[in-house]
Amino acid sequence: MNCNFSRETLALFIEDDLPGSQAETVIRHLDDCLHCRQICRELQSSQAFIKSRLRPAVCSSTGAEFLDGVRESVFTQIRNEPDRWSWFLRMERALLPGFRSHRYAFATLALLALISASLLGQIQRAAPGVQQSAAVFEGKDVLRLPERYKEWVVVGTTDGLTDSQSHDQTSHRIYVDPTGYHEFAKTGAFPEGTVMLLERVRAENKRESAPALEASVKDSSRFKGGWGFFDFTGKGGEIDSKARALPDGACRPCHELRGQTDHVFTQFYPVLRSARVES
Amino acid sequence: MSGIPDSPAAPAALEIPALVQRTLSGDSAAFECIISRYERRVARLAMKLLGTPDDAQDAAQEVFLRAYKYLHRLNLEKPIEPWLMRMTVNVCRNIGRKRKLRLTTFSEAEPPETAADHNSRDPYLGIVEDQERQMLRQALNSLPEKERIAITLRDIEGFSTAEVAAILESSETTVRSQVSRARVRMKDAIGQMMGGQR
Repeated sequence: MNCNFSRETLALFIEDDLPGSQAETVIRHLDDCLHCRQICRELQSSQAFIKSRLRPAVCSSTGAEFLDGVRESVFTQIRNEPDRWSWFLRMERALLPGFRSHRYAFATLALLALISASLLGQIQRAAPGVQQSAAVFEGKDVLRLPERYKEWVVVGTTDGLTDSQSHDQTSHRIYVDPTGYHEFAKTGAFPEGTVMLLERVRAENKRESAPALEASVKDSSRFKGGWGFFDFTGKGGEIDSKARALPDGACRPCHELRGQTDHVFTQFYPVLRSARVES
Repeated sequence: MSGIPDSPAAPAALEIPALVQRTLSGDSAAFECIISRYERRVARLAMKLLGTPDDAQDAAQEVFLRAYKYLHRLNLEKPIEPWLMRMTVNVCRNIGRKRKLRLTTFSEAEPPETAADHNSRDPYLGIVEDQERQMLRQALNSLPEKERIAITLRDIEGFSTAEVAAILESSETTVRSQVSRARVRMKDAIGQMMGGQR
C-alpha cells in the first residue's frame, strides 16, 4: 500500500511531537492502514527499549562525591573570580541586572546620555558670569555688522549738529550693546567686547535708514589703545555687512583725548550717565 | 515567575529569579541553591557527551563558573535550565575539541547506570541489560552528531522539543526533523541487532 506518511512523520506521532491537526490526520489514516500501524508499533517498541535502558534512573558516575568536588572547586574559584573580570564586565554586571534584555538596558543608557548632554548644554548656556561679546570678527580686524543692533540700548541722540562736509543738519543715534551697557551701569567701566554704534541720519529724512553707520569695539587684544573703529558706510549710502578696522590715527586719538570715559563721549550720553548714577 | 518576596526567606525556598538577584547582590548561599538544583542534570549531560568522569567534572565546574560570571545576562522571564544546558553543550564541545575527543553520546567505558540494581535481581538479567545498553550506545554513536545530540536531549534526557531548540539555539522544526530521523535510524538499528525479534 502506498502511504503519503513518511516513517519520520510516524516517529513524531508516536511521541506526541506532531501539531494537533497533523496528528488527527495520522489517526484517521491509521484506522485504514495496516502497514503504518505496524511501523508505529515498531517505533513505539524501540523508543520504549531506548528509554528503559538509557534513561538515567541512577548514575553512579556522577554521584555525591562527584558533585561535592564540583561545588568545592566552583566556590574556591568564585572567591577570586571577580578580580579577574575586565572593567567592561564589571560595569555590565553593575548596570544590567533588572533589565529584561540588553536592548532595554542600552536604550535606557542612550536616553540617559541624551538627557545629560541636553542638561549640560543648558547649564553651560545659563552659566552666570559668562558673557559673549556682541562683536563678531572675521579674522583679526574685520567686524561683521551686528544683527538687530537697533534693539540695543540707545544711550544718546544728537540733533542739529552739522555735517562738516555737506553742511546738512544731521541726527545721530548712539547704540551700545546690552552687556556693555549693564556692565558700565554696574561698574562704571566698559568691559572687553563692548560695541557702540553711531547711526547718522540726515535731518530731512531722519526717519529712514541712516546713510552712515560707524562702530567702535573695545578689544585690547586686537587694537592699540584698546579700541577699534569701523565704518560700515558703503558707496551711495549703502550699509555694508562687514568693515575692516580704520587706521589707528583715524578716530582713536580724538576719542582718547576728548572722550570722558575710556574713549567714549559719555558726556554726550545722558542715558549712560543716569544709569551709572542710579546703580 | 515570582519576584523577590517581601520577607526574607531561606534561599532554598526561593524561585530562580529571586535566587539570581540575591546572587548578584553577593549572596553566595543563593548561588549554591542554584547549583544544587541543576548540578545533577549538568553533570549527567556532560558525562553523556564526554564519556569520562574527569572530563565531565571539569565541564560541570566550567559551566557553573560561567553561569556565575554571566548570571546578569540571564533573561529572568525564561527558564534557566535551557541556558545551563546550552552552556553545557558548548563547554563539552570545547573540551572535546581541545582533547581531540569525538563528541560521543555514550562512552564504551561508561559504567552501568543501574549498577545498584544488580544486587537485588537476577545477575544474568543484569548482564543482558548491560549488553543491550552497549548495543544501544553503538547505535547512537553511529548517528550523525546533530541527530545524536537531539535524540539524547529529547528522548533520553526528557527535554521538550521547545527546550531542545533553546539549548541548541535552533528551531523546533529543525529539532523535530533531527529527532524523527534519529528515531527511525534507531528503530532500524535495533531491529538489526535483535534479529527482527522486536
